[in-house]
Amino acid sequence: MTTDDMNHPQKEKPIALELHQVGKVFRSDTGAKVKALEDVDLLVHQGEFVTLVGATGCGKTTLLNLIAGLDAIDEGTLRLGDGLRFGDNIAHVFQHYTLFPWRTAVSNVSFGLQMRGVPRAQRHLRAAALLEKVGLKGFESAYPHELSGGMRQRAAIAQALAIEPKLLLMDEPFGAVDDSTRTELQQMLTDLWQENQTTVIFVTHNIDEAIVLGSRVLVFSERPGSIACEFKIDLPRPRNRIAKEFTDLFIHIRKSLSGQLD
Amino acid sequence: MPKDAQENRPLRRLSQWLGYPRIGDSHRIGAARTGSPLGWMVVPVILLVIWQVAAQWLNQPWIFPPVTRVLDQLAHPLREHYASGSLLSNTFISLLRVLLGFLLAAGAGIALGIAMGSIRILRTGLEPIVEVLRPLCPIAWLPFAIAVFKRGTLPHLFGLGYTRTVFDQVQLGMVFVIFVGGFFPILTNTLDGVTGVRRNYLLLAHALGARRRQVFWHVYLPASMPMILTGLRQGLGLCWFVIIAAEMLPGAESGIGYLLIYASDNAAMDIVIAAMLIVGGIGALLSLLMRKVMSGLVRWHGKEI
Repeated sequence: MTTDDMNHPQKEKPIALELHQVGKVFRSDTGAKVKALEDVDLLVHQGEFVTLVGATGCGKTTLLNLIAGLDAIDEGTLRLGDGLRFGDNIAHVFQHYTLFPWRTAVSNVSFGLQMRGVPRAQRHLRAAALLEKVGLKGFESAYPHELSGGMRQRAAIAQALAIEPKLLLMDEPFGAVDDSTRTELQQMLTDLWQENQTTVIFVTHNIDEAIVLGSRVLVFSERPGSIACEFKIDLPRPRNRIAKEFTDLFIHIRKSLSGQLD
Repeated sequence: MPKDAQENRPLRRLSQWLGYPRIGDSHRIGAARTGSPLGWMVVPVILLVIWQVAAQWLNQPWIFPPVTRVLDQLAHPLREHYASGSLLSNTFISLLRVLLGFLLAAGAGIALGIAMGSIRILRTGLEPIVEVLRPLCPIAWLPFAIAVFKRGTLPHLFGLGYTRTVFDQVQLGMVFVIFVGGFFPILTNTLDGVTGVRRNYLLLAHALGARRRQVFWHVYLPASMPMILTGLRQGLGLCWFVIIAAEMLPGAESGIGYLLIYASDNAAMDIVIAAMLIVGGIGALLSLLMRKVMSGLVRWHGKEI
């Protein structure tokens, strides 16, 4: 087992993302204001793997959309690190509708390159290489509806990686696949992250998943959403789900999550 | 009962040859589909036989002509009828009018549908007008169209006058009415397609670096393609519907609809029925053609995930 040396990036790594007192207000159909996020402070360094865990509807996705530039911030400030730009090197992987159904796998993966004007032959070559990397060799010309749920998420990750992102935002990407597929995908994602050193912000409601993947776990509170507490995960990778340190952490996070429910 | 004895009964052999499932097969799912390709002909042939017998018994061919006389007309599509041309020439004229009107409707309907779908002001401004004009039967536009276009034809439009070609039969008024018939289904389906594009696909495209123009070509257009094609299929069907009605009205002097009403005035019911069969057959063929194009172009349709 290797020690997780990515766990101490704060000392030397530059900042990838900084949020200061960020708030977001939605207006409901009846006109009432609903605070989705309040006073969110977050500092993410380059190369970190941050997982956000919280109940469904607590504002995790809203926060991710703010970071992705898909929604406007109402309060506070958001600062992206040097060289990070929306629509350029920030990739987003969703839970559903992650691929364009009218494009084959290889053409989906090369979408970002096509938008950047990379010639067809070249982008297909790169897309095919990425598909091989995520374990989809031989499925280049398959349409999304011909792939299984797990395979679609693999292709979606390849699609995101194709634009060589410096920041990878993932919104419950493994939420709709079965447990064993989920474990495989988590392993693949960990391997890719260790290889590329991309900054990852990963949203999940699954505590186990948050601990397995993250170098830091942020626990989200509900209504209005804000970061309740945070845990640094120093466990070596690949992480052993039944090791005592792991289960202790799990119980700890579980308690801090259910504490909000009282 | 031994199996051989069953197989030899003539009725059973006939039904097998026609593709009907054997009684013992009925529990097998899809058994009826695996038979002879001639199965679909059974009911039409029976109806034709009944028709022939009934027509000969009635013996009033100006009301109810025997099948043989109708088939004789269909077998001689080049035969000239009075001064109104042949079945084939009139069918060709009708198809030409429909093709022109449909192409104009497709171009305008798709363009305006996409524009209304992506530009909000355009949509709020035009939607009430569209909603009022859409339920109007296209034939209602004919008097207006004739008033505007008079007896102008396609060659007139290009300043050619009378050209002694088939294009002299392509009256602009008719083309306009066909245009109206095809325009609304194409417009509304395209609009539904464009406004129904999932927000996620747009977000995904933006996240992957697509610019506005690129989102249009690579997301809006392919995502709404199934609806656009549905609109084109409905539009083409309606165009073919409308042309027959338009040609049957006073003022027309050619086309399969005109031949139909002209033959009826001359008590040539065999020509009337032959024309009806041609109109129906071409309508079915056009629909089939559009379906083939659609399933070839959008393999993914209905399989979104």
